[in-house]
Amino acid sequence: MDIVLRGIFVFFFLYVIMRVIGRRELSTLEPFDLILLVVLGDAVQQGLTQDDYSLTGAFLAIGTIAVLQVAVSYANFRIPRLRPILDGEPIVVVQDGRPIEKNLKRERLTLEDLAAAARRQNIAKLEDVQWAVLETSGTISFIKKPDA
Amino acid sequence: MADAPDFIDLDRHLHLRGISFDRRPRRLVLLLILAVVVLGLFNVFGQRPEHIYANAPQAQLELYAPSHLRGGLLYEARFTITAHKDIGNAVLVFSPGWNEGQQMNTLEPVPLGQGSHNGDMILTFGHIPAGQKYRFFMQFQVDATNVGRRRADVSLFDRGTKLLTIHRTLTFYP
Repeated sequence: MDIVLRGIFVFFFLYVIMRVIGRRELSTLEPFDLILLVVLGDAVQQGLTQDDYSLTGAFLAIGTIAVLQVAVSYANFRIPRLRPILDGEPIVVVQDGRPIEKNLKRERLTLEDLAAAARRQNIAKLEDVQWAVLETSGTISFIKKPDA
Repeated sequence: MADAPDFIDLDRHLHLRGISFDRRPRRLVLLLILAVVVLGLFNVFGQRPEHIYANAPQAQLELYAPSHLRGGLLYEARFTITAHKDIGNAVLVFSPGWNEGQQMNTLEPVPLGQGSHNGDMILTFGHIPAGQKYRFFMQFQVDATNVGRRRADVSLFDRGTKLLTIHRTLTFYP
């Protein structure tokens, strides 16, 4: 029973952490972030299974997280009002080629970050962008102006 | 101005109006996490050891051990008996909280005798001459499922006479 309870706690704790740290951290995966991810995984594993090396323990831990993941995604699908809470909402960061400073600042995004994301989508100048939207996944979608 | 992309509501997604853009819940959660981390820094969740003393005219007992622990931790409890007067047969009596939900890995030096009395664990150390110290170490590992608070008193006896007691409570975090 203990391992299931720990699994539930770890799942929701990670969920809340991922929601509060902001999208900027989710979208980037620099070498340091990758190392941090491995360290985080190790810390979570130890808290989750502790000294339990059994197959049953692994099954219970993975099963708990899988069931919760499906439950959360089902709730997200069935209850539209939960979506902003569970997934967040997209944020417009460029309108008519003009970066929205207030929204960029809110998500701790710099103009350089925005320009780099645009370049990754073969867009040289932000003025060619009609809309740029910071998605809930942390990636930025660009929609070019019709004449660009 | 061009139409907004599908499912983008400019009032919400551009001007950030709506409950999901309220930053207060996010800040509150971050503050709570920070508070837990700061409490951890101040040893609220263990496992920094502390000195606890009990004194009697015949002897002093010093216990150096953590009182706040977490599942899976390895830790040591160090006992120092200082005999002010000759102790003919020093005996330490441990309440059950010392052994409940913990693995006892080592007792060093090995006591002369070990037993049980009325549910308590008894360790016998023998004669300690006046003015001398006797140092004794116990190493434990906390069971992962051990959560809650337990009494972990220890008393020093000399030939059946109680000299002193250290009263303490062990707190185990999950």
